[in-house]
Amino acid sequence: MAFAYSDVNLPIRETTINAHRDSWERIARPGRWWTGAERVEIARLQRAARHFDPAKSSILPEAAVFAIQKLVVDNANLNRGFYDETITAPGMSEDRYIELVAVVVHALSVDEFHRALGIPLEPLPDPQPGDPSRQRPSAAEQKWSWAPIVPKSGLPPELAQHYGPLEWGANVLSALSLIPENLGWLHDLSEAHYLSFREMRMPDPLRAISRPQIELIAARVSALNECFY
Amino acid sequence: MSHVNLLGRSGSDDQYELSAAVDVAVDSGVPHGRLLLQFCDAAVGRRANLAEIRAAVRRELGDTAAIEAAANIANFQRMVRIADGCGIPLDDRTKEASEGWRDQLGLHQYASAANTA
Repeated sequence: MAFAYSDVNLPIRETTINAHRDSWERIARPGRWWTGAERVEIARLQRAARHFDPAKSSILPEAAVFAIQKLVVDNANLNRGFYDETITAPGMSEDRYIELVAVVVHALSVDEFHRALGIPLEPLPDPQPGDPSRQRPSAAEQKWSWAPIVPKSGLPPELAQHYGPLEWGANVLSALSLIPENLGWLHDLSEAHYLSFREMRMPDPLRAISRPQIELIAARVSALNECFY
Repeated sequence: MSHVNLLGRSGSDDQYELSAAVDVAVDSGVPHGRLLLQFCDAAVGRRANLAEIRAAVRRELGDTAAIEAAANIANFQRMVRIADGCGIPLDDRTKEASEGWRDQLGLHQYASAANTA
């Protein structure tokens, strides 16, 4: 079974292990715009980029490969021009870009957990067969993100709850909502690596490090990445 | 950098020094703050001293805390890329709450500041 951590002498929470397994299952399944094989390939190139290996791909569009590398190693310099060029390149679209971002960042986060703790990286999953659903949510609207986002009223209840009281959610929550399933993924890995959206509203949620320590880490990682948000 | 705001709100007035997020020479006032910042720098920068810093975190804060700290680092390696990969602006509430320190911390020099009008 993936993420067994059998050789790791660390008390890793069950929630974290389950979220890592879930992430690998999500990566392997066909999405809305990429096949399972393409999604696993995106995760592979993400991993290569973090090792400064400019790996190539025989199945992804060239613009997708470049976007993965930018997201991983040059994320401080992403801008609207990069986005516009990417989504209009052959084989790309707004929807494919947003799905690619979700796969890159979640795979990266699981890998970074391992790297920070000195644990070998988990082998990437075998892709699952099937075609992408190619369904864009009808409620998607162009708002403040580069890509359209989906309001709470356009989401199924189990995903809409993640927006809390806001119709458009916090900007970082709705950013990947053009692929609505991303909201559940975002929440579950947040709960495992940081706090659940509910815990975020608590002054001192039950964790092994205090809320000020948690937020100091968050702020420092943001600064190292030159992230204004 | 919304979490600088959350760091400030996690203590009483001015309890924590927010500029520690951008200048590790500054004492944040957060217990074990300096070591946690070193852990962030070593992990994000993939520095040669990562194993040494990680061992210090395990020794001084314990294994469970080291796991939580590593998970936090991993989480924000993800979140910054969502924010900047999607070009989102600051939420209105954070924008208002951070007026007093964004310039002070030099955040407007970041390329992604262009996403916030």
